[in-house]
Amino acid sequence: MRKLLSIALIVLLSACASQTTQPDVEDLTSGTDNGLSGSDLMGSDSGRPSYFNQLNDPNSILSQRSVFYDYDSYTVASEYRELVLSHARFLRDNPAASVILQGNTDDRGSREYNLALGQRRADSVKNMMILSGAQDVQIESVSLGEEKPHAMGHGESAWSQNRRTDILYRGE
Amino acid sequence: MLIRAFFLLLLLSCNVSYASFFGDSEAREQIDVLRKQVKEMEVRIAKMDQALNNQALVELYTRVETLGLELGKLNGQIEMLSNENALLQKRQRDFYIDLDNRLRQIEQPGSRAPSSHSEPQSSPRSMAAPPPDEHAAAPPINNDITPESFPAEGVDSSRAMDSGPLSANELAPPGPVENGSYKEAYDSFRNGEYTNAIAQFENFLGNYPRSSLAPGAAYWIGNARYALRDYQLAIDAQKRLIGKYPDSNKVPDALLNIATSQFEMGDRNTGRKTLENLLASYPHSEAAGKAKQRLSNIK
Amino acid sequence: MLMSIYCSKLMRGLLFLLLWLIIPSLHAQLNIEIFGGGASRIPITIVPFAEENRLQQSITPVISADLQRTGLFRLIDPAGSSPHAPVEVVYADWANRGVNALVIGRVTHLSDDQVEIQFRVMDIAKKSQLTGLAITVPTTQLRAAAHRIADVIYEALTGDVGVFSTRIAYVLKRGNKYALQVADADGYNAQSIIEYTEPIISPAWSPDGNQLAYVSFENKKPVVYVQTLSTRERRAVASFKGSNSAPAWSPDGKRLAVVLTGQGGSQIFLVNTDGSGLQRLSRSSSIDTEPNFSPDGRYIIFTSDRGGSPQIYRMPVTTTESSNAERLTFEGNYNASPDYSRDGKSFTFIHRNNNQFNVAAQEIGSRQVEILTNSKFDESPSFAPNGKMILYATEINGHGILSAVSRDGQTRQQLSVQTGDIREPAWGPLPKWK
Repeated sequence: MRKLLSIALIVLLSACASQTTQPDVEDLTSGTDNGLSGSDLMGSDSGRPSYFNQLNDPNSILSQRSVFYDYDSYTVASEYRELVLSHARFLRDNPAASVILQGNTDDRGSREYNLALGQRRADSVKNMMILSGAQDVQIESVSLGEEKPHAMGHGESAWSQNRRTDILYRGE
Repeated sequence: MLIRAFFLLLLLSCNVSYASFFGDSEAREQIDVLRKQVKEMEVRIAKMDQALNNQALVELYTRVETLGLELGKLNGQIEMLSNENALLQKRQRDFYIDLDNRLRQIEQPGSRAPSSHSEPQSSPRSMAAPPPDEHAAAPPINNDITPESFPAEGVDSSRAMDSGPLSANELAPPGPVENGSYKEAYDSFRNGEYTNAIAQFENFLGNYPRSSLAPGAAYWIGNARYALRDYQLAIDAQKRLIGKYPDSNKVPDALLNIATSQFEMGDRNTGRKTLENLLASYPHSEAAGKAKQRLSNIK
Repeated sequence: MLMSIYCSKLMRGLLFLLLWLIIPSLHAQLNIEIFGGGASRIPITIVPFAEENRLQQSITPVISADLQRTGLFRLIDPAGSSPHAPVEVVYADWANRGVNALVIGRVTHLSDDQVEIQFRVMDIAKKSQLTGLAITVPTTQLRAAAHRIADVIYEALTGDVGVFSTRIAYVLKRGNKYALQVADADGYNAQSIIEYTEPIISPAWSPDGNQLAYVSFENKKPVVYVQTLSTRERRAVASFKGSNSAPAWSPDGKRLAVVLTGQGGSQIFLVNTDGSGLQRLSRSSSIDTEPNFSPDGRYIIFTSDRGGSPQIYRMPVTTTESSNAERLTFEGNYNASPDYSRDGKSFTFIHRNNNQFNVAAQEIGSRQVEILTNSKFDESPSFAPNGKMILYATEINGHGILSAVSRDGQTRQQLSVQTGDIREPAWGPLPKWK
């Protein structure tokens, strides 16, 4: 025990002495098999967590970040279930990763009601993620209501683009 | 910086000396233990993974959300239905009052075509005086004006309430203000504001003693007294009505109310006499029917 | 009915243009078009005041525009005759021209930067003065003086309180910039209170007119701020976890109702204007939003989808949270954005009807509903403090404009800015002297 303590002290002090900072990502390497190889982890020298490599891999479902909805609906349709669950598993396996879920609506009707509806969309995704292993602290769900449309104008093609929840990773 | 370097050296030397206490074999043992623990942990994690990957929870959640939506819709339907129910009840009440008015006019041969006023005439539910089954036999309150003569112009308005009996054809049909003030008083009664209603009807009687609505006002004063459980005052009020408007069609109802009050006061004999009197004097009135029924009940 | 008014020639006949200074360097035009309101308009003549042409800003054109916007007056040209004092008024002459009321006056220059404005409203039929006033103002506030005069005339002729001296707040979006602006009720003197590249919504006037509460997305999520207009000083009142939105002032100005999502769902809370004393008001598993206080402060009306579709409900304001509320709207499956009238007897809201979102008003007692507009995308209705007009946002040719409709739906006017989208209007309270 005392040995461990002394080692810790040394590490601490030498860290101070050398004035270098170890990237936080080292804490994340432990344990589970999430497909990350050691070189991936060491590869990031900018301080940017290397799990982003996986998130941005166009072949991975994790590169998809939006859930779309029917009019006035807030439940995640079955076709988007796997997308939400994949992100949930990723969060579970990378406890340092965190996301903001932004709920959005089309621009019909009251702005405040749409804000609440967007919130409900984001909350629904959040709940599914937590049930699939992500931690509450990793997820903040917010709403942008109808304020940040992807597509402009009226008509179902624009509206359906705007009824969505976006998954944004912090630090990305 | 110097101090820090000194500490570092000190600690390093400590460390070296500690390390020498442990042999190689001891370290290996510890490593084996740790390996075993790691393996156990991996098995547990694999189990948890499995538990979480089995999507039962997520499906359950989706179900809960769907149920929430359906619950909302059901809630909405209940809200709509209770609203429609309330509206229907109100409409039904209005229909009843209207129908009652029309029937009353038909039942009174020789009475004038319906006058423009249409105050509610059904006896309110909150009223305690007549038993519930008497609802249909709601006391008529006006239209007891005969078409022949309307001495409205010639009426000596200085004649006050207590100045001797007035026959029906001495009564004038109500004007709009008169009608309004009667309706206001009646609304008070219907809302259960009996004290207010009494004051308003008394006021009405003071202002329009010769109105065709006056007997009705007098009758409702008695009824309001009854509802307040002031039975003696109720009897007095109805007696005043009978004395003042002896040939009003309100008289049988007034007698019935007197009898009910007398029973309430425990005066069964007087009550029975009043009922018998009612039966004898107004055998064809609706009130008489009630009186007959009640007499058979108390035998 | 509205349709026929809309299509009538009045639409083209009564169009006039005013200049709206949005940012000093940029002049955008404000169009006011008035539809309908035909038969019963009061014929009135406003004679240009003596000496007013020496001012930088003439008084009477402002008064005329104010009165005309209400749809209650028919302005008759003085046609050359220009009395300035009662003795100069030839009543028979004006009566022949069908004039009911005549406004005359004069401007006296007290100093370089101060003037006195005297005016009288003459009753042509009675051949007497109906009302009159003399006000002294700095030359920088001539428009404000004109609005006060218009208020006095309006009150004398209609018996209602005038609202020409009030202000409006709204959000202007141009390019990717959002500006919260405050302007006079006629759209002049627009000033940006705050500008951001992130959305701003839901401005709400404090009852004393000194502060605005609003929702800004500048921190990537909605946060409720309160800003003092005179000092531009502002503070975050509700910046809790999750979304913070839909501020509504209590009538005493001490508290705000806000909608928070931090405790799950969108629920209504009360918070002191300094951000302290958070108290939950509604408890439901549904969306509860858009709270609005009754003028006596006893009730809150709000939008909730607890019945499967957004509808308007009413709940008492108590010190404990409650799940019970009385449903007020029953027509259609979308009723939202309620705003109480000053007298507390009715509220205005957005009603969806065949995929059209329209301004409607409902009496609380009788539940009588009137749909007041027939445009497609109306939003954010807001009662004028005298209850006679409702300001709202709508859309024409794909961009947002402000519109106002009279409480009876008979008169509508469009206030439009040529550049940019204008939305989220809120009509401010009466100035303090009223």
